[in-house]
Amino acid sequence: MLQKDFIFVLALSKRMEKRWTSFWAVLWLGLGLSTQLLGQDCNLSLRGQVLNADTGLPMPYAGIIIKETQQGVQSDEHGHYQIERICPGEYTIVCSHLGCDHAEQKLALQRNAVLDIAMKENAVTLENLVVTGSSNKKAGTQTSSELSGVELDAGRGMGLGESLKRLSGVSTLNTGATISKPVIQGLHSNRILIFNNGVRLEGQQWGNEHAPEVDPFTAERITVVKGAASVRYGADALGGIILLEPKPVRQTPGIGGEAHLQGYSNGHGGIASGMLEGRLAKLPLSGRIQGTLKRAGNLQTPNYYLNNTGVSESNFSWSGKFQPEHWVVETFYSRFFTQLGILRDSHIGNLTDLNNAIERGRPLQDGAFSYDLGRPLQKVMHETFRVKLAHALSETDKLSLQVSRQFNRRQEYDAHRRFNPLPETLDDPSIEFEITTWAAELNWDHRLGRNWRGALGTNAQSQVNTVDRGALIPNFDNFDWGLYWTERRFKYGSPWEYEFGLRYDLRHLHVAEQGTNNLDEDRNFQNWSASLGLVYALNEDWKLRFNTGSAWRSPLVNELYSNGVHHGSASYEAGNPDLRAERGFNNSLTLEGSRNNRWMMALTGYYNLINNFIYLQPRSEAQLTIRGAFPAFDYNQADARIMGIDWTGDFSLYKTLHLESKASLLSGWNRELEDFLIYMPPLRFEQGLKWGFNEKKQADHPSFVRIAALWVLQQKQAPATDYAPPPAGFVRLDAELFHTLMWGRQRLEFGISVSNLLNTEYREYLNRFRYFTAEPGRNLSLRIKVPFNFT
Amino acid sequence: MKINALKLPLLAMLVLPFLSCEKDDDNGPDNEQELITTIALKFTGGGQTVTFSAVDKDGDGGSAPVIQDVVLKPNTDYTLSVSFLDESKTPSEDITTEVKAESNDHLVCFAVTGSMVSPQTSDKDTAGKTLGLESAFKTGAAGTGTLKVTLKHEADKSNANACGTGETDAEAIFNVKVQ
Repeated sequence: MLQKDFIFVLALSKRMEKRWTSFWAVLWLGLGLSTQLLGQDCNLSLRGQVLNADTGLPMPYAGIIIKETQQGVQSDEHGHYQIERICPGEYTIVCSHLGCDHAEQKLALQRNAVLDIAMKENAVTLENLVVTGSSNKKAGTQTSSELSGVELDAGRGMGLGESLKRLSGVSTLNTGATISKPVIQGLHSNRILIFNNGVRLEGQQWGNEHAPEVDPFTAERITVVKGAASVRYGADALGGIILLEPKPVRQTPGIGGEAHLQGYSNGHGGIASGMLEGRLAKLPLSGRIQGTLKRAGNLQTPNYYLNNTGVSESNFSWSGKFQPEHWVVETFYSRFFTQLGILRDSHIGNLTDLNNAIERGRPLQDGAFSYDLGRPLQKVMHETFRVKLAHALSETDKLSLQVSRQFNRRQEYDAHRRFNPLPETLDDPSIEFEITTWAAELNWDHRLGRNWRGALGTNAQSQVNTVDRGALIPNFDNFDWGLYWTERRFKYGSPWEYEFGLRYDLRHLHVAEQGTNNLDEDRNFQNWSASLGLVYALNEDWKLRFNTGSAWRSPLVNELYSNGVHHGSASYEAGNPDLRAERGFNNSLTLEGSRNNRWMMALTGYYNLINNFIYLQPRSEAQLTIRGAFPAFDYNQADARIMGIDWTGDFSLYKTLHLESKASLLSGWNRELEDFLIYMPPLRFEQGLKWGFNEKKQADHPSFVRIAALWVLQQKQAPATDYAPPPAGFVRLDAELFHTLMWGRQRLEFGISVSNLLNTEYREYLNRFRYFTAEPGRNLSLRIKVPFNFT
Repeated sequence: MKINALKLPLLAMLVLPFLSCEKDDDNGPDNEQELITTIALKFTGGGQTVTFSAVDKDGDGGSAPVIQDVVLKPNTDYTLSVSFLDESKTPSEDITTEVKAESNDHLVCFAVTGSMVSPQTSDKDTAGKTLGLESAFKTGAAGTGTLKVTLKHEADKSNANACGTGETDAEAIFNVKVQ
């Protein structure tokens, strides 16, 4: 956040102080008065951690300021802060945070000191928690990682999946270079839930080549919660949850916003994204508009262009928020529209074509650069509308109601138009799905006694899907209903923290026509989910987390009723109407450690069993059609096991020179066939060196240079049923520079990154087009971010 | 800027989304598929005209294509003309006209096994390159074998192995008996 913003927050907190004097913050004058005496020199330091007094979680981005000298800093993402060069004397330390009452503490500083500050949440602004229920839950006892600030800015131009790759344990399932889906601990698509601004994304996530329909520029923070036990959000999340949270609305009167410009050398792509927000002085009313435009042409691998791999995207959103005392009314609308070109050479007719293409291993022609988007093409539109009403019943209890509508239209244009098209149907898609989702959620955030906090709620969802063209899946409608209850015990000062959650869901599915067939079938599914989490703080630096839980997922309509040829993959897929629900049992243990800016690490081991895991089983005989033979697959289920290790660490080697390290190791096993699961990420191992500078001038946005090497090993644990063996391992080098400049009073953030610095030709196992082409080559990107503010 | 000027647009934002949701333009399902269901081979020679076909009326999946055996006389010069039909609707549609109209984008490929010689294509597309709807087929001594007929879309006709490129629109392998 801006230094300027920080002052606003402070000013705001001062106003609130009058109103909420009874909830003022509790301050700790900690421990560390034992460090050496330093005389009268002005080189004392004050450091510590800002914590939420209720939940004990670190509070990132709180402002800490010494009133008398106006020396100020902001706490980092783990709540740590450090103020240097303080003269001995008596001071008033003021700590403030959006959404919290501000805290003041008098302090006589004679030596270096440690001051931990516990802040109490302010009931009025706490509605941010009410909405998504996230801030306290997501960090909860579960293993989660988060992308925000510079790291998010650097990646989000590449889409959601690619930006999340920066987190350990997250990879992507790609279809060519333009379609990318996040994979959490080996699971993807409908085994992951994506929440965009509190609304569960309901698009066409079942398809491997259906990328999530969200604009990452709407988010200020993206959190990945790993593992099944997130009962608060829904039953289906066997793999985990992705939460996209927008920047909290402006709390000070005036107008502000930010502008992003990004350019990419590979594909000659450009992105312009802007956000403008305002708030009234006299009325607690604020609003925001946001939009993103993206255009890119054909991508290039080290040796050839990829024809028809351009992208065109235009998104916009707006929101309004009215906050009278104890109430919040909020509306949010967003529209996402993308057109994705698909590599021409990947569209093949049958098994012979596929074998020809694999044998070539690369596109037929070298290709050329062009912005033209031809067939095959995907056009996807997603619209979200949400109204939320929240009421603070007391300082700790909040009630909220959210109603949302989503509409998703997916149009796919095959390489070949239909035969003998009528002139008016010449530009009609080959496949078209439309899905409309209405959802409502009622949630009660509450506190029981001093140390228990929880949420109790219910949600309902109704969905209608029509297949306007094509007969791959039937028309269907479904109705879901869920009831959940979570409680969490946290006591400040106690090393233990517990959390449990229970959930009950039912789903009714009705399928209607599929092509000219009227199936007219009803399926009902219902079951429980439960979770238990424990956190134990070994000492100030180390923490252990243990989570166990069980969740289930009902089979989807494509798994039940698919019938047809998938052109992109040249495979014939047959659904199985007798599939039962999947049941997952997740266990994970995490060891976390951190100390100020010196080092941090997290090591997670997980062991997940999924009974009735649904997968595609190759048939021994090819499916014969009038276009020739296609490899045929049946949806089948078996007990599976996925286990692995995620590692992430950051260590200061010398002053501001840091070693950053990430690794994920995973193994997927079909326990009935006694074979490996297909499309499990191979071992990834990333090491980087980051050197920070300019930290005094821009404490919140310090500049840095980074160079990182990514090692990916060949996937040896793959079933033999693949069309081609997994590609060889590779090493890729990436580099990045980030710098903040002041232009008068205006801050400018610049980023330069080069991915695939050495222009290495490589293939990723989890790219479904690895049969046809290598991954894109070197990509130099430039970006600039301009936050602005007028009062 | 005067802050009050903001009030109206902000209020509008609270209300506007209600009005702007896109409607599902669904006019009932349009699941009609246009596809090739039939490959028909017409052999003319030896004083007669014989026709054989490969038919898959129910599309992908369901029942497998029904492919007739091609029965020809030995040592005869035939002209072979290939046609493609959509017989899933009535009246059936002749897709060969479209293949001809977009002749540059299409290529009919042949591959044989057993005791016979591959058909020699005789027609050209508008760019003067091979098309393959018409060809000459010369049978030898009595025997058996197979004839694979493939309709390729957007094949690279300048490629030496043109039939190994492009996307297959239709393909069938006929058993051939020369007797």
